[in-house]
Amino acid sequence: MKIRGVLIEDTFAEAFGMRAARIVVTAVNQRWARAAAEKFTGFATSVIACKCEAAVERELSPDETPDSRPGIAVLLFAMDTEGLGKRLIERIGQTVLTCPTTSCFDGLPGLPDRVTPGRALRVFGDRFQSSKVVGGERYWRIPVMDGEFLVQESFGVQKKGIGGGNFLILAEDAASGLAAAEAAVAAVQGTPGVILPFPGGVVRSGSKVGARGYANMIASTNDAFCPTLRLTTDSALSEGVNSVLELVFDGLSADAISSAMRTAILAACRPGVRAISAGNYGGGLGPYHFHLHKIMDGAS
Amino acid sequence: MSDTVTLSLRGSLDGILEVEGVTGDRFAALGEREIATLPAWMGSRAAKLGDFFDVRGERSGSVRIEGDVSRMHRLAAGMTGGRVHVIGNAGDEAGLAMAGGVLLIEGNAGDRLGAASAGASKGMTGGEIIVLGSAGAEAAARTRRGLVVVAGAVGDDAARAMVAGTLVVFGRTGARPGRGSKRGSIVALGGIDVPETYWLACTYQPPYARLLLTYLRRHYGMKIDDRMLDGQYRRHCGDAGSPGRGEILEWVDAGR
Repeated sequence: MKIRGVLIEDTFAEAFGMRAARIVVTAVNQRWARAAAEKFTGFATSVIACKCEAAVERELSPDETPDSRPGIAVLLFAMDTEGLGKRLIERIGQTVLTCPTTSCFDGLPGLPDRVTPGRALRVFGDRFQSSKVVGGERYWRIPVMDGEFLVQESFGVQKKGIGGGNFLILAEDAASGLAAAEAAVAAVQGTPGVILPFPGGVVRSGSKVGARGYANMIASTNDAFCPTLRLTTDSALSEGVNSVLELVFDGLSADAISSAMRTAILAACRPGVRAISAGNYGGGLGPYHFHLHKIMDGAS
Repeated sequence: MSDTVTLSLRGSLDGILEVEGVTGDRFAALGEREIATLPAWMGSRAAKLGDFFDVRGERSGSVRIEGDVSRMHRLAAGMTGGRVHVIGNAGDEAGLAMAGGVLLIEGNAGDRLGAASAGASKGMTGGEIIVLGSAGAEAAARTRRGLVVVAGAVGDDAARAMVAGTLVVFGRTGARPGRGSKRGSIVALGGIDVPETYWLACTYQPPYARLLLTYLRRHYGMKIDDRMLDGQYRRHCGDAGSPGRGEILEWVDAGR
């Protein structure tokens, strides 16, 4: 399959089930909502070392937030519900509670599975906190120096979240690869239900499971896609490919990831890109397989 | 099973009609005939609900009451779930000791809206009461949990001995509000004489008030002035005779 002259390889991205939460941060203006969201999503690129993956989903207008203020929706993914709850306590407590004017709400209302970071965070109020129920949901009012921090008690857990949807941009040179990656990220920025957790949405250090030379390594460089190793390892790259970048997608559903991957791949098919590939482990590890040809069906 | 049970008042009430069990949760389990035979009292005379109302529908937690029932007391008293929608005015003790569900009154409500039964230590323990008109004395008295919202004015002794919960008043709040309140909240948007047993803590923008007002606007279609959302509120803490954890959030721009 080719799209605008770019080969779409007949392969698939292998992804994993994760637990996900959607956090809505509101503030007096978009600047302060973003300030909190950027800190909240810091150091959250991969569960391998960060214990969670998180990024801004999209900006929210006052019409879309529970308190009619500007807001930002953030998605956070972890491997299990307990871990998700802990990360929410840590990150809301250190980055949203601390940020002037913010309030923090559940962005997945109605889901039956819940974690309760607000209940844990209430004790920061040192018994001066109070709770209120609005529309059947409990909120905690925690006194802080600029007034009150309002946080919802419980947050919905999407048990069918997926982490690790991906594709690789195989480019003739670094500039072309980066331009294609930037275009792909821009095309899907703000898509509901999907985030790209790596810096700027792009990964240059794609990894394989384990390592050849170090027994204790969980992950190591994906040598098959490193251009400098094309002649010294079992390379997946053909001659003329001199730079590879990866986009990783975490989503609330398989449909959300498929749709975002399709949009991003279409944007990435531009001059200087030789092929689009995907990262997998042979299909035996992750239960979700995103086949590029199936995703791009009808686009060539 | 119907979408709604409708009670239509046949004529005007000659005296005070007291009812029991006119609640969403109760009606959800009752047939049309059983609803019509629910007990009622006209003064000291025992009667049945069907003596005064035409009943249409059955086994639904959504109840609609048509006609002027301002002389009908204890509507939705003790309700634990469902929804009672009064098209006109309601009488005294509507939503008395309510524990859940929604009571929506399009007209005015009488005294002791959402309050406690005689001798009871706590009144409403959950649910929401929305009155689009005004309410009488002792609204939300002894409320333990839940939300009482009055679009118009409320009478004297509102939120008396409130344990917790919230009373929102868009009109003028009557004399002696929040007396003996322990942890309750009064959101006063239309003017209030704050008792001397409350102290001014600060003037700020309470995020809770903003959330609550947005909820009322979106969920009940209430007309909320943007200035109420964006405005400053004085936080008065009291009551001095209690633990002092009660509050009156007084909208600064009230009356301007």
